[in-house]
Amino acid sequence: MVVLDPTTLINVLLIAISGTLVCIAVHFIPVGGAPAAMAQATGIGTGTVELAAGSGLVGLITASAMYAIPSVQADPNAMALVLAAGAMGSMIMLASTMLAGSLVYAYGVGVPFASAQVKKDPITGARQDLYMSKGTQGQGLPTVCFVSGIIGAALGGIGGALIYFVLVKIYATSALIGGSAAAVAGVFTMGVFYVNAVVPSYGVGGTIEGFHDPKFSRVIPKYALTSFVVSALCGILAILIGGGLI
Amino acid sequence: MSEIKETSPNTLMAFGVIGGLLGIYLTYILPLAGNAAGGPVKGLLTTIAPAAGALGGICAIVWGAEAVRRVAKYGLGTGVPSIGQIAMGMGIIAAMFGLSIVGQLTLAGPIVALLTASVIGLIIGWFAQNVIKMKIPVMIRCMTEIAAAGSLVIIGFSAAAAGSFEFGSLITLVFDNGIILGVFWIGAMAMLHPFNACLGPDEKQKRLLYLAFSTGAITMAVTGIAGIMTLGNAGIFTLLVGVVIWLIFYKKFWDEVYKDAASVLGTGLIPKTEA
Amino acid sequence: MVLDLTMSMAILAFMGALATIAGCLEDLESDVGSQSNPNSQVQLAPQMNFLHRIYNKAISGEPISNGLSAVIGGIVTTVMLNAKFFPLTAIVLGAFVAAIIYGIFATTSYAGRVASQSRFKQPLYMDIMRYTTPSIIAHNFIVCLCLVALAYIQSQILVPAHPFSIPFLALIWGISVGAIGSSVGDVHYGAEREFQNREFGCGLNTALSGRIVRRAESGLRNSIDNVWFCAKYGGPVTGIALGLTVFLSSWPTTVFGYTWIAIGVGVAIVLVMVILNRLLEINVKNAYGPYKEEKNEKEAAA
Repeated sequence: MVVLDPTTLINVLLIAISGTLVCIAVHFIPVGGAPAAMAQATGIGTGTVELAAGSGLVGLITASAMYAIPSVQADPNAMALVLAAGAMGSMIMLASTMLAGSLVYAYGVGVPFASAQVKKDPITGARQDLYMSKGTQGQGLPTVCFVSGIIGAALGGIGGALIYFVLVKIYATSALIGGSAAAVAGVFTMGVFYVNAVVPSYGVGGTIEGFHDPKFSRVIPKYALTSFVVSALCGILAILIGGGLI
Repeated sequence: MSEIKETSPNTLMAFGVIGGLLGIYLTYILPLAGNAAGGPVKGLLTTIAPAAGALGGICAIVWGAEAVRRVAKYGLGTGVPSIGQIAMGMGIIAAMFGLSIVGQLTLAGPIVALLTASVIGLIIGWFAQNVIKMKIPVMIRCMTEIAAAGSLVIIGFSAAAAGSFEFGSLITLVFDNGIILGVFWIGAMAMLHPFNACLGPDEKQKRLLYLAFSTGAITMAVTGIAGIMTLGNAGIFTLLVGVVIWLIFYKKFWDEVYKDAASVLGTGLIPKTEA
Repeated sequence: MVLDLTMSMAILAFMGALATIAGCLEDLESDVGSQSNPNSQVQLAPQMNFLHRIYNKAISGEPISNGLSAVIGGIVTTVMLNAKFFPLTAIVLGAFVAAIIYGIFATTSYAGRVASQSRFKQPLYMDIMRYTTPSIIAHNFIVCLCLVALAYIQSQILVPAHPFSIPFLALIWGISVGAIGSSVGDVHYGAEREFQNREFGCGLNTALSGRIVRRAESGLRNSIDNVWFCAKYGGPVTGIALGLTVFLSSWPTTVFGYTWIAIGVGVAIVLVMVILNRLLEINVKNAYGPYKEEKNEKEAAA
């Protein structure tokens, strides 16, 4: 059985932190749900969970590819590089998606971008309220939402990569899992990722514009707490899977 | 909706837990019985044993679909599918933990997994109700049920693809080649699809349950295809049983649709309404 | 197989092309069956006394349904490869099985949703069922074929090979293609095609919800008419988004190796996209102008 040593505790803590990162990331990504698909709300016209998952998992692909390189595995500072690879993949996915989404709002639907939550864009200072059409909650992706989404994608990518990085190292030394470490760690990462992406989506309730949305600061503390506790529990279970077999 | 007689949640829970565990344990007991009997019986029993695990998985899917129905009726604000995702997320974590932690006591695995899943579900449900304050009265109970059903689905179908639920053989037969992802995802779809597909003011439990059987049978068929690679003939048997069950319940589902729909037309213009 | 840089780039470009096709077809598939967020309007229409002849394919959100078909394709392909089939045959068979199962899910959701709306007198049209479902299957077949081929290339051909198995990679790309399709192309279907009788760029008032267009250029509109429209813009743009994702997420590491330089290049690409979006925002605001100019002038005068 696992001895309760500092390394184990740090690993549990890292998994708990990464779960919390995924949870916070969900709040950064500007999604408008069904209203945004009708250009009736600011943000990307899809659901919270899946967009976070879609970008986070692309991050998982790039991060796991990075970790599979022998020279990276040998590097003692591999963690930062793997996490950065996760963030990069995730950011590129979300940036391409938002850019293409903007193209559709601009030329397919013909609406100027406007945020409903702020009068002026905190980043560019451009007026927002004038461009909001009647009976809607804004439309499209103004710069502040775009930047918020990129930050969210980076956090989600780091979160997913961190769970994977911690687990794949533990499982690689496990007697039973050994050579299948990547497969088992990948599946477990996906499980933790989904739990942490779904829970905050209940608070987002379909639409959130990003870090400038009042909803953001209102809901984040209690969700971060929930995610932290749930992920810590998952972390303990994950480490026991690898260690309980020795 | 109350005037229509519905199967009670407790009955379906019993159906899911008992049926699920029975199916899972049969994958273990049948080959043992076959070994004891020897001869042609042995071959027969080892071939049909994995299918029992998948049948157990179908029981768990039906139970999970009903639990999804009860909680999703309140409107989660983010669509039905997310609840299926979280179910499988919790289920796979609990299943992996339960099966691996017991070490040599393989038989205890599914029970430990079921209990772990219930605890995770309980904790998430408690947080959803008391910290996040979602104000859904059935939240805690349904979250627990969904997580537990998720773990049984994972174990049942994994056992059907690998022929046993011993963690070591699952690693080589199910994790390495990625079949577990199929079980994870198709199982989640099978559980969330029945309510999602029947969503609407005139949703009926009977139609939903038939659909749950049919989606469960699809999962069983795909597991059977995967089983052809890992187990050979046993996989073909699972596939065939899955297809037969699917045919039966798909037909039953359509019978209910014909009965429930306002009208079923070959073609035609849009009917005139008062407005 | 040993790959030099030229060959690696060629394979990467091929992956990008496959992803572009997959992305485009995924969006069109979601329009032909009417799925995801825009489908909420199709679902709502009968309640507003707008009975219609549009398919109601509520399998689930696009990421989940495409993940489903991709992972089935991946599993069947793995089984076939294990039985020593040629890779291409294996991938085609995998995609075929996945598309058929996908079609089955589609029929149950159309039938189930319409049957659950019986109090609004929405009829279940069997001719719509018969000729839209094969179109859904056909679109999904191509999506699944491209995604599984992508996963196969990543895990079997690329050097260094990706540590994940084919079904795992196919599932992740399936989730991504769905996430992108529902974020990009669906807006064209939901905000423009479903409300095409409104002025272009008017900004849809929420009060219009459910009042979808039900008449086509000739006769009554069905889902095939919708895909005809969305194929002109929404679909290709979705394809570009997924193509860029697949290509750009691997390009830095392929060219610059698995180092910090590659990460820096990746971040630079993202910054370029932020700037492009800002330019687009300025361009659109100048071109279309604000909605509320008069009210603002009154405020200023007061």
